[in-house]
Amino acid sequence: MATEGFVDDENLEAIVTRIEQKSRKIESLLKQSKPVEALKTALEGSPLKTRDERCKSANWIVVHRAIMAIKDVDAMFSSLDPEYYDTLMKYLYRGLATGDRPTCDQCLKIHEKLTEKAGLGCILRSLADTVNTV
Amino acid sequence: MAAVAIHQFAQCITCHTWSPDQSMVAFCPNNHEVHIYKLFGEKWERVHVLQKHDQIVSGIDWSVRSNKIVTVSHDRNSYVWNQEASEWVPTLVILRLNRAALCVQWSPKENKFAVGSGAKTVCICYYEKENNWWVSKLIRKKHNSSVTSVAWHPNNILLATTSTDGKCRVFSTFIKGVDSRESGASSSSNLKFGEQIAQLDLSFTWAFGVRWSPSGNTLAYAGHNSMIYFIEDVGSSPSAQNVALRDLPLRDILFVSEKLVIGVGFDCNPMVFTADETGLWSFVKFLDEKKIAPSSSKYGSQFSEAFGKLYGQSKPAINSDTVESSRPRGGAHENCISCIVPLRKPGDTIVRRFSTSGLDGKVVIWELDSNI
Repeated sequence: MATEGFVDDENLEAIVTRIEQKSRKIESLLKQSKPVEALKTALEGSPLKTRDERCKSANWIVVHRAIMAIKDVDAMFSSLDPEYYDTLMKYLYRGLATGDRPTCDQCLKIHEKLTEKAGLGCILRSLADTVNTV
Repeated sequence: MAAVAIHQFAQCITCHTWSPDQSMVAFCPNNHEVHIYKLFGEKWERVHVLQKHDQIVSGIDWSVRSNKIVTVSHDRNSYVWNQEASEWVPTLVILRLNRAALCVQWSPKENKFAVGSGAKTVCICYYEKENNWWVSKLIRKKHNSSVTSVAWHPNNILLATTSTDGKCRVFSTFIKGVDSRESGASSSSNLKFGEQIAQLDLSFTWAFGVRWSPSGNTLAYAGHNSMIYFIEDVGSSPSAQNVALRDLPLRDILFVSEKLVIGVGFDCNPMVFTADETGLWSFVKFLDEKKIAPSSSKYGSQFSEAFGKLYGQSKPAINSDTVESSRPRGGAHENCISCIVPLRKPGDTIVRRFSTSGLDGKVVIWELDSNI
């Protein structure tokens, strides 16, 4: 466990830098009204393995920005590949946990469609995984 | 393909097993007893009740050649039942556990059996002729949580386990005086008792239902995160495949052949998995045809999609209540399936029939079509 913490510390700066870069990229994608591309960018390279809360929070802010920018949920799913489903589900639960009204509204709306698409197995995978948290 | 027989034996069944000739079934009706039923004409009649345990019987296995029944229970003990005349005579096996025993299986040669327990230990039990006594040897300090399932490799030496610590492990169970050096493959017979050969860390949550393929080349187990894992060449260079399920997790699995696996669990409907020529595993379909199998939109390989198209033709269009349609209504099982057992006729190389039991108290016999 101690060695894992060490690796975390070493990579912490790198992860934060990466998230900052991601954030800038997402802003520019949103300006070009490409919300799905923005969401994909946000979900890619999420720091699942690290246990550092700052990294997770930083990434959540980025993902949250992308989730809230989604206007047409059906259109989003027509271009979102299944490999993103599990990670997206984890962030939806994180969103629901905030208790913030607009965030919860948006997350529930996406959750309904995602469950339809990916089945209960996807929910199980996001709830059961206590190691790769978001 | 369908269920060929459905028998409602009890309110709930924790585990079941068949006599060597498959004329009798033994199961635990969710209490401290084991009931044995025999088929007379068209009707199943209760012929024996085995009463010796104090608490729920969690595991049972009936050996094919020696006709012995082994039971394990939450009362931390195990009994080996031997038929003498018309009576079943129990022999106590002291497992030396401080937690419940959870599962049991006879080794292929039937000279040993393995018990998984809540005490983070696995017991390997063998018979000592001199003392007329079953001895329990423990594999300790290897598991970080309860051992949910055990599976013997066909070489009678290697044992695979799954645990609620999320890992699947493989151990050597070589016991001097019981196993001969030639008995296993040359590499596995040099190993000491309790030596860990492999630890597979694929599931990040509870793992259940580990099984070896008939040849022992492939290992499969289920994770509580709705995943099933297939591992080839465990001993030398393991390569793993994950298959994510659309639906609820599995509790137990069965290798029908090298390339065909049946999984059962919380979806109340057995699932079929196959490997193609390249060795790529994928979900094919649900076994119970009464239930609508969801097609397309599944994860995983293009192969599973192709299979979904192949088998999902007859289903009506999926609308917004897809989730509802995957609920168990009118299927053979009405609750979680916890146990799957092959029905192997003597001399059969592949399994064509098997039975499942679960929390709904039914034992269902299934027969595979020749086309899968």
